[in-house]
Amino acid sequence: MYRVDITADLNDEDETGYVWTFLDEARDPAQIVPGALIVAGDAEAAAVCQVIDLAPTGDGMIVHLRLLPGLVDDYRALVERSLAS
Amino acid sequence: MPGERIEQRLRLRAEQPPGATTLVVRGGHDTPDKLRTHAERAARAWSLDAVPLLGISVFAVLGVPLDDLLRRRFATFRTIYLPSAGHLTGQGFELLTTGQAPHFTVRLRRADDHELSRLLAALGAPQPNPQYARSMIWRREED
Repeated sequence: MYRVDITADLNDEDETGYVWTFLDEARDPAQIVPGALIVAGDAEAAAVCQVIDLAPTGDGMIVHLRLLPGLVDDYRALVERSLAS
Repeated sequence: MPGERIEQRLRLRAEQPPGATTLVVRGGHDTPDKLRTHAERAARAWSLDAVPLLGISVFAVLGVPLDDLLRRRFATFRTIYLPSAGHLTGQGFELLTTGQAPHFTVRLRRADDHELSRLLAALGAPQPNPQYARSMIWRREED
């Protein structure tokens, strides 16, 4: 089970080719800024993503996300390796 | 500041709909509630002919082998749905050429319980993704 920074359907793409969702689906919208690395998806399917941009659309703000390779668990292993004494 | 919904009619790709035997992929494990959430998210952002567009995303297996598509785009999903385009359209669901190829939107009309249950049935049973975790960052060899 994942605790994501922003809920998204990782299947969703628009004409930019990026995954998109709404900013108001973030746990802390202040963290969702261009360039930030975040975890997106839902409790069962999540991925590390980079925030590309934000754009006003409909009744909210759309966030475009670049899917990064690998699993969330891979990134945890990477960080643990880098911090190992 | 809120903006307008993005009208999709003029953005639809000018291409033939996928053939009946073409497989389409959707990652994850859906429920009617999940499908409703995703369809309503699309309707917040998109319109078609000035009407909010209810729909969910799928990718057609066009031009690349299935395993390549799964490895490139679906490696974070443990399970996938893999119905044929013909099966979805045969159940009354329109496939719209939204986004960049090979992305499509399965259009819903109401996204009510009945339609969502029909869609979930039309997607078929979720199956293990053979390319799960195949696109990865560095791992120890023994992992």
